[in-house]
Amino acid sequence: MAKVLIPTALRQFAAQKDSVEVSGSTAGEVLNALATQFPDLRKNLFNDEGKLRSFVNVYVNDEDIRYLKKNETPVAGTDTLSIVPSIAGGWK
Amino acid sequence: MITIDPEAWNVMVSHAEATFPNECCGVMVGRTENGVKQVTGAVAMENAYKGVQEDRYELRPEDLLAADKGARAEGLDLIGIFHSHPDCDAYFSKTDLENSCPWYSFVVLSIKKGKFDHAASFLPNADQTAAEKEDLKWQKS
Repeated sequence: MAKVLIPTALRQFAAQKDSVEVSGSTAGEVLNALATQFPDLRKNLFNDEGKLRSFVNVYVNDEDIRYLKKNETPVAGTDTLSIVPSIAGGWK
Repeated sequence: MITIDPEAWNVMVSHAEATFPNECCGVMVGRTENGVKQVTGAVAMENAYKGVQEDRYELRPEDLLAADKGARAEGLDLIGIFHSHPDCDAYFSKTDLENSCPWYSFVVLSIKKGKFDHAASFLPNADQTAAEKEDLKWQKS
């Protein structure tokens, strides 16, 4: 089972857990399993069409899955997934 | 409501004034108890926007990940993001909203002629279509 580090801001939706062990052979499967286990996390991670929200970045170990195989990125039981938002802005 | 301790507030204002006329950015860490977010620390970060930074900022996901890990190690939560609006009021712009995240409070510092003027905090929704204003208090040292 892969380990998913829960961002501190999302722990309230994951029974206050720091990390969760989740089954899945790809990043997409792991994230879906996580959202099934903790339904309140789903709306924070996925939009109504079931796609990862635009501000959600996922890292397998230290690699951003956007630069790997996205949701199809293979995940092994020894891997750690991190969820990190994209944040930017400006006054104009 | 979000309240910011003096030490954290000094970090935020100092960073915002030092980077003027560019926008600055950083994170706030602390604890949430009884619905009140207490910011006990702030970390100034590099504006990673590749272009004119007088009206734009961008946080590197890697920096955010490191900040979250740092907060976790201290038993704290990453509570919010701060950035500055140089020579401009502390509102949540369309650009701010469209590049936000609903997991955090977003504190905007208005810096006018290089000095702090006022601040406001916002809570964007998950669809990045609206941001509610949040009560903000800070303590100067």
